[in-house]
Amino acid sequence: MNAMSTDTFTTASSSQDALVRFSQVKKSYDGIHYVVKDLNLDVAKGEFLTMLGPSGSGKTTTLMMLGGFERPTLGHILLNGNPVERLPPEKRNIGFVFQNYALFPHMTVAENVAFPLRYRGIKGTAAREKVARALGRVGLEALGDRRPAQLSGGQQQRVALARALVFEPSLVLMDEPLGALDKQLRERMQIEIKQLQTSLGITMVYVTHDQSEALTMSDRIAVFHDGRIQQLADPKTLYNAPENRFVAGFIGENNTMNCTLVGREKGLAVVRMADGTVLKAADAPLTGGSAALSLSVRPENIRLAGNDLPPAQNLFSGQVTDMFFLGDHMRLSVAAFGGQIVTARIPVAQVQGIAVGGTVHLACLPSDCRLLEG
Amino acid sequence: MALSEPVDLERIRTFVAVRRAARPARRAALSLALPLVVFLVLTFVAPILYLLVTAVDNPETRSVLPRTLGALETWDGASTPDEAVFAALAADLKQAKADSTAALVGKRLNYEIPGMRSKMLAASRMAAGLEAGPFRERFLEQGDIWAAPETWSVIRRNGAGLTPYYLLTALDLKQAPSGGLEGVAPDQAIFLSVLGRTLLVAGIVTGLTLILGYPVAYVLTIAPKTIAAVMMLMVLLPLWTSLLVRTTAWVVLLQSDGVINSVLMALHLTTEKVQLIFTRIGTVTAMTHIQLPFTILPIYSVMRSIQPTQLRAARSLGSGPTSAFWRIYAPQTLPGVVAGCLMTFILSLGYYITPALVGGPQDQMVSNFISVYINRDLNWGLAAALGVVLLLVTLAIYGLFLRLVGADKIKLG
Amino acid sequence: MWLPSYATPSERLSRTLVVAFAVAVLLFLIAPLFIIVPLSFSKDPFFTLPVREYSLRWYEDLFGNPRWFEAMMNSAIAAVLTTILATTLGTLAALGIARPDFPYRRVIMALLISPMIVPIVIVAVGSYLFFGEFGLTNTRAGLVLAHTALATPFVVITVTATLSTYDTNLTRAAHSLGASGLSAFFRVTLPNILPGMISGAIFAFATSFDEVVVALFLTAAEQRTLPVQMFSGIRDQINPTIMAAATLLLALSILLFAALALLTRKRAR
Repeated sequence: MNAMSTDTFTTASSSQDALVRFSQVKKSYDGIHYVVKDLNLDVAKGEFLTMLGPSGSGKTTTLMMLGGFERPTLGHILLNGNPVERLPPEKRNIGFVFQNYALFPHMTVAENVAFPLRYRGIKGTAAREKVARALGRVGLEALGDRRPAQLSGGQQQRVALARALVFEPSLVLMDEPLGALDKQLRERMQIEIKQLQTSLGITMVYVTHDQSEALTMSDRIAVFHDGRIQQLADPKTLYNAPENRFVAGFIGENNTMNCTLVGREKGLAVVRMADGTVLKAADAPLTGGSAALSLSVRPENIRLAGNDLPPAQNLFSGQVTDMFFLGDHMRLSVAAFGGQIVTARIPVAQVQGIAVGGTVHLACLPSDCRLLEG
Repeated sequence: MALSEPVDLERIRTFVAVRRAARPARRAALSLALPLVVFLVLTFVAPILYLLVTAVDNPETRSVLPRTLGALETWDGASTPDEAVFAALAADLKQAKADSTAALVGKRLNYEIPGMRSKMLAASRMAAGLEAGPFRERFLEQGDIWAAPETWSVIRRNGAGLTPYYLLTALDLKQAPSGGLEGVAPDQAIFLSVLGRTLLVAGIVTGLTLILGYPVAYVLTIAPKTIAAVMMLMVLLPLWTSLLVRTTAWVVLLQSDGVINSVLMALHLTTEKVQLIFTRIGTVTAMTHIQLPFTILPIYSVMRSIQPTQLRAARSLGSGPTSAFWRIYAPQTLPGVVAGCLMTFILSLGYYITPALVGGPQDQMVSNFISVYINRDLNWGLAAALGVVLLLVTLAIYGLFLRLVGADKIKLG
Repeated sequence: MWLPSYATPSERLSRTLVVAFAVAVLLFLIAPLFIIVPLSFSKDPFFTLPVREYSLRWYEDLFGNPRWFEAMMNSAIAAVLTTILATTLGTLAALGIARPDFPYRRVIMALLISPMIVPIVIVAVGSYLFFGEFGLTNTRAGLVLAHTALATPFVVITVTATLSTYDTNLTRAAHSLGASGLSAFFRVTLPNILPGMISGAIFAFATSFDEVVVALFLTAAEQRTLPVQMFSGIRDQINPTIMAAATLLLALSILLFAALALLTRKRAR
């Protein structure tokens, strides 16, 4: 397998770099409702791309179309520049790791891993060596004779990985592969999978509904909702600069409050909240597609207003409706802007003299506030 | 949302594309089931359709008396026909004698005109010897039957290729001379009572299996695992055993010198042998025994899915044990009760072996009459018509079953 | 297990009564089956218990009498042929039905199950009249065809049940790893649905081997099966050789049942 530089960050802007290209892809099962609407997406060679979204958002259908298990209703999927919509899965040479692994229960671990080699004319010693190497890579060299049912969930997951990698595909697809594992194991597997992908230089398309998994592993994340990609960006951009209300709400926690745009000032948007309070926010690109606007700010970016603050702060106040102790911080629910609930995370040490029912003065930086559509 | 022209076109395009894309997969799935579908159509559906046709098929008069039927077209229907009709009949019967088909048409017409079979045979023998007319007097000398207009209207009616006769008979009805329907004579009206008896026995058996089976299903769900497994074995093993073996067991048990009688005598519960075999009680007991597992299993499978926490919840909300059972538990078992009872009722309708071996003459079901008309009386039309009636009743309840339960809910063991 | 710990005394009493009733019903279910076993070993030609003296004379008659022996062979041959035909057709159909794209599912399923529902006499008389047109009455072929029609629902139901627990991702995985349609079927799908197929085959065998009514109408003396021989015997004059035959059938049922139970246990594991 040719080693690719994987530390470079690829945006797949040039088409010759794109290993996979979805072009105007639509999928409908009943001819009336679309599961996937107008999908355009390039996946670059060597990239770890995650499709993130709630269930029913179209991400798994998209993965199944790439794997060859579903056919696009309209549009094209290009693999290395060639359309593959009509190519059956067994001709695509794509590794696929299924939800719940889909290990063959009537075969041993080694037989499972050797399965794809048979169709590629690899037999005997060569096959045994490849199987041993693949199992070694996932730390299971000793368990080749076991049946899948005799393995733990994490071990089964590793076998599925070894089986999908043993025939050295350049593209590997994963459908919620860690969904069945407990939290600790899941976090360890995230790192292992990422390391394997980097060291082997494989292109990976990964489907999950777990945002922290997506943020940890991905080079780029495509956020799916309602059959469309809501935003396609690297994890940092996605977290700090969500482009619409859905992404803001789906990635991490966010306060989104209705507002109206009253003007622009020094690259900042000036907005009026429901109760007339005027705040400033970083201006996200507005498409004009939606009349409603909202201001979004993360709870950890809201602090208590004090004397030691730099100028140009957004200041507002409200009544505390709830307080929860969460170890390192307090979580305050504050009714502000005429009744909207704003959540703030305040370090425990600062929360003195604040009680439910009392008034509290809060502040946030305009650069932490985003003006969003929707 | 504005409905612009391109959107609509797009939708149509998608719809067509989806339908087209689904077609190969649908066809592939269907083609796997096709061998069995074709096989069943040929070996199962076609015989049943053939049975339906047999129930209305009426070839005898048409094939044996074609000239007579032709001559009868101008008959007024009220008087004794003229010479031309009798000449045609003579010609037909002459031919019939040569082909030995006179008995065939005689037997068919005998269903509707008692005594017609022998008259027809005698007439054919006479006709064979006649060279020239006049034929009318010669036939009238044979008996009044040839003078009666009713005879001729029956012959004319049976010139049709299809007849409602067998189906009407199976419902104790007949065509009145006027053309309408009327009931047959009370001494011939047996089939509705046979059908009623079949439904009654099926109903009694269904009710008994429910009364006996419901507690068993319930105990199966509360018994400790190993005991429940043994109990389940006691339900499933009879189901697995051949129907004939189970019926044989009952024949032996119910004999007047059999096990039950000897036990009753030994316990001094009776001093005389009780007649058990060839009785309604014997038939119903044996059928209930055979059908019990069919009622128990669906009820059990529903009961097993009811969470025990529901009864706890009912109790915590203030309901006593009896009221918790009837208001919370029993209503939830209803789907199983419906499935089990409908299945047992459907299967009970078709019983043949058990009534034939355990029942007396008054316990014979529709199935047994069908068999008798095929094997002993060789009256296929009537056997088929009874079959149609039985089939329709069964399919109606099967339809109810499909609607309430569904074919995919049928499980084995 | 029997009772929750919070049960009231009256609840305890009624529960005890219900359990006692259920046990009585279970005895009613099972006892008649085993009544025939001691009778078949009785030396006397009548049916009373307790048996005074045991002997194997009725079994000697069963295996020594060519009429009985031929009947057993006829039954076995018809049952084996039926099993092969029904398992093949039923499994194929179940594979189709299990696919999500299967059209007209409700109608076709209702048709495939209907041989279990239609009264057996109607099937028997219908085949008797219809097969007569093609010279299939009084032939083994006719009997096997009719028995196969009766047996296929059992195969369809058992294989469909197995397929409903089959993870279709296994087939997808096989494809993604390079296996074509047929190869994926034989190497992945088939080994995993085999227990269901064998269960269906056992049901099909039992259906044919035990069936009386259709065989009664479709066979002459030469193809006469064991149940037909028994049925005629009971109608005529019940004799202890029939008890021996019934005991044999019972033993076969228990054997098949045990095989089935073993299979389901293995599947559960």
